[in-house]
Amino acid sequence: MTALLAGPVPTAPAALTLRRGAARVLIDNWTGASTVPSRTLYPHQWSWDSAFIAIGLRHLSARRAQRELESLLAGQWADGRVPHIVFHPAVPHDAYFPSPDFWRSSRTGRAVGAPAAPETSGIVQPPVHALAAWLVHRADPAESRRRGFLPRVYPRLVAWHDYLLTRRDLGGAGLAAVVHPWEPGMDNSPCWDRALLRVDPAAPDAFRRADLTRGHPADRPTDLDYGRYVRLATDYRQAHYDDRRARHRFAAEDPCFNALLITSELALAAMARDLGRAGAPHTARAEELTRRLVTRLWDDAAGLFRVRDLVTDTLVDERAVTGLVPLVVPRLPADLVRRLRDTLDGPHFRAPSSRLVPSYDLTGPAFDAKRYWRGPAWFNTAWLIQRGLRTHRLRADADRLRQGFLAEAGRSGFAEYIDPTTGAARGARHFSWTAALALDLLCADPEEPTP
Amino acid sequence: MLKTAVQEQLLPQDTLQAKWEFAQEAGYDAIELRGKGDFHFASRLDELKRAREDGVVMPTVCVDMLHFLGAFDEGLRRDAVAQLKSQLTVIAEIGGLGAQTPASYGMFSRRLPPFEPPRSEAEDREVLLAGLAELGEHARREGVTLFLEPLNRYEDHMVNRLEQAADLIRATGLDSIRIGIDSYHMNIEESDPAAAILAHADLIGHAQVSDSNRFQPGAGHLDWPAWLGALHAAGYDGYLAAECRLTGDPLDAVRSVPAFLRGSGA
Repeated sequence: MTALLAGPVPTAPAALTLRRGAARVLIDNWTGASTVPSRTLYPHQWSWDSAFIAIGLRHLSARRAQRELESLLAGQWADGRVPHIVFHPAVPHDAYFPSPDFWRSSRTGRAVGAPAAPETSGIVQPPVHALAAWLVHRADPAESRRRGFLPRVYPRLVAWHDYLLTRRDLGGAGLAAVVHPWEPGMDNSPCWDRALLRVDPAAPDAFRRADLTRGHPADRPTDLDYGRYVRLATDYRQAHYDDRRARHRFAAEDPCFNALLITSELALAAMARDLGRAGAPHTARAEELTRRLVTRLWDDAAGLFRVRDLVTDTLVDERAVTGLVPLVVPRLPADLVRRLRDTLDGPHFRAPSSRLVPSYDLTGPAFDAKRYWRGPAWFNTAWLIQRGLRTHRLRADADRLRQGFLAEAGRSGFAEYIDPTTGAARGARHFSWTAALALDLLCADPEEPTP
Repeated sequence: MLKTAVQEQLLPQDTLQAKWEFAQEAGYDAIELRGKGDFHFASRLDELKRAREDGVVMPTVCVDMLHFLGAFDEGLRRDAVAQLKSQLTVIAEIGGLGAQTPASYGMFSRRLPPFEPPRSEAEDREVLLAGLAELGEHARREGVTLFLEPLNRYEDHMVNRLEQAADLIRATGLDSIRIGIDSYHMNIEESDPAAAILAHADLIGHAQVSDSNRFQPGAGHLDWPAWLGALHAAGYDGYLAAECRLTGDPLDAVRSVPAFLRGSGA
């Protein structure tokens, strides 16, 4: 990143204003036991949103941050999966699509261990939860111990990782696979375009989107994409969400997903040690996963990690932010760290007007500055990359990204994402993880050790 | 960082000067006074002025009587208003910020027999608005503020939640009346105390603190970081005044409060 892109450090009054604004978003979006990502667009509890939210909420209330993760884990299935949505029972079913009526988790997922209540989706999102739980614990260890937080969440998080590395090792090479574009959390990334061509979309009259009543169509996935998402989810449901039975037409190894699994596995090691148990098995697993991540997904010519399409067993020829997030892995080889830093600072990801990282290659054929994960810059990936840069002692780069994050978060009204070419706010405003991660950058010790 | 205060009866020693020594050592920034009836508070004017000259910080007074501006009996009501006016004048005279009062205390509860109060809700409102208008005008003339405190349902039947106090205050149109919040009562009455603080941020003028069990902050189970975080988010810059009972050694209990509040995000 160039000096031109470095902004001023927020002044004390500006930081105070930003901190108050972020706290206000988190208080406004709290529903009693968890936080909605947005009051307008997303009225339930989302899995990786909750993890990022907890990371910020710990600075406002350690108890609320613990509750955030506990209420998500209350929706965990007996096979270990943590569903990507836990539905609020009091919210009408038509407030969001796909609703509980679509997923039918308590009935259709029963055989593989879906709870009788609450209703949930059947797919998952990136496993950032153990990292979040460890950071939440560290924020107030006394309150954590008083509430028995770690002893309660640790076994559930272990089961979650076990699920991903057994049932979801669809490539047989020891990495976790995603079976739906919603699972890596980057729903309409061009990384999925070719794989989705294999999927016949569900008929448009077979479903009614709820995201377009509040969201702008230009900011959201297209109807054709949506038809394919619905088809894949329907197929999975018809297989009763049983990964041994389901024939996945979509299966991929995602760099961000697996990088977060590694970082979270290291958090499990820290938790285990805190609980007087052995941390070594988790550390060993993280190291093995790191080797597999590099072997399976690193593209040396491109200088970043790629998605592997497991149906064709090839790397997907697209550059996306998911390929940069593995910077967050502590034991990444030093030469890869250097290459990733160069890529971050190169023509594909150095945005002209925004100091954040675009979600997709600025020079790529599918780049769309406004549409969700096809170009816009998101705050959670910026937070992760910032953390990764700091982990690898690239402090100046990390500081610039941190300053850019805080400036954009404040200027955009804690937007869901921003146009990387103009810096304009896009998607929902007062978005919970944007506020939470801003609060974290303002309050956390920048040198807080990575587990 | 929010400033802390402690009510005078919680402090050891006989004089305000000696109490102030103890309070400062414990880390408090001020003493909250108590205003008894029969114009007792006014009778202390010389004592209060001397204390002020000696550097004692006394920003607020909390009414300490058994009848209030919302009393059923008109004579008691008139007396309560007269007492409060006097207290507002005295606190103004010693350079303070204002006086805190509930609408009533221990007079009636809709949750206890006989359940139906002798006055209708409309009549309650009329009485409260008349009293508040008179007191608010007086406070405005004196350059201080009247803080209206919602109490829990067992202690008052008229003003239990911040939104009820806010509604009455807006109806008076006076900016010399603000809400005096209390963490203990909010814990019982507000579905989300932090959200309630943000919803009425513009009207909150004073804050009293005690824990879920009415003991000193730290002795119960309130989520203090969330409550204090909301006050920060609201831009509140007033005092946190300890009005509580004490559990454990009383002196240790009083001493523990400032450090506990700081540690919880104050």
